[in-house]
Amino acid sequence: MARESGLTRGGGALPADRSTSDNRCVEQSSELTVEIAQPWVRPVVLVPVFVLLSAVGGLFRSFSLEANLYVLAIGGTLFWLGLSSRVPRRSVPLRLSRSGLWWLVPALTLAIVELVTFVRGSSYDYPTLSLLADPLFEGYLARTAGYFGWVTAFWGLIRR
Amino acid sequence: MSVTRLLAITGFLLAIGLLGVVEWLARREGSRIPTFGDLAGFVMGYEVGRLPVGRIAVFGFWWWVGWHFFAR
Repeated sequence: MARESGLTRGGGALPADRSTSDNRCVEQSSELTVEIAQPWVRPVVLVPVFVLLSAVGGLFRSFSLEANLYVLAIGGTLFWLGLSSRVPRRSVPLRLSRSGLWWLVPALTLAIVELVTFVRGSSYDYPTLSLLADPLFEGYLARTAGYFGWVTAFWGLIRR
Repeated sequence: MSVTRLLAITGFLLAIGLLGVVEWLARREGSRIPTFGDLAGFVMGYEVGRLPVGRIAVFGFWWWVGWHFFAR
């Protein structure tokens, strides 16, 4: 089902009778138009914010109340932003070719290994992905990097 | 290290590697394979009536992933 992308096309940015020696300004990307309209979505603004959020998140250990509240707050805010029309979205395909089925290869591989290890009890001999990740995220830097990846990916989804 | 643990780790690394390979294939010039971003955007475009079911499902899953890895 088609939906509004929230993008402003660059083609309509100039008057029709305006001629130029090249077409760079006419064929500017939709992304550029969006960035000008809402400067706060530019990486130069967002990356420092994400770094700061991640640096704070890295301070909270798993299973703590602070960690639960923090993920709840960050995730809830991003969830709300993603459902609102406050963030400009990139255009997405309305249909996919059958070649998209190639994504099932890694997805099924991950799902099968996760399912088998989960059914076997998620133990040392049958570790799930999160069990393997737990020792990695015990260190502050790795935990901060993990937060940064999570928030950045969340933002990437919101822009779609 | 037990054989089953080694197999599980290998399986996860294989899956992550395959994700990277498919994304790389998708980004090649003229590729018909959609990128992961296009795939996610397509899934998130699914709506029931005016309810953005696709967006709610994907955001909800990713929110849970963050909670599962960093808080639980």
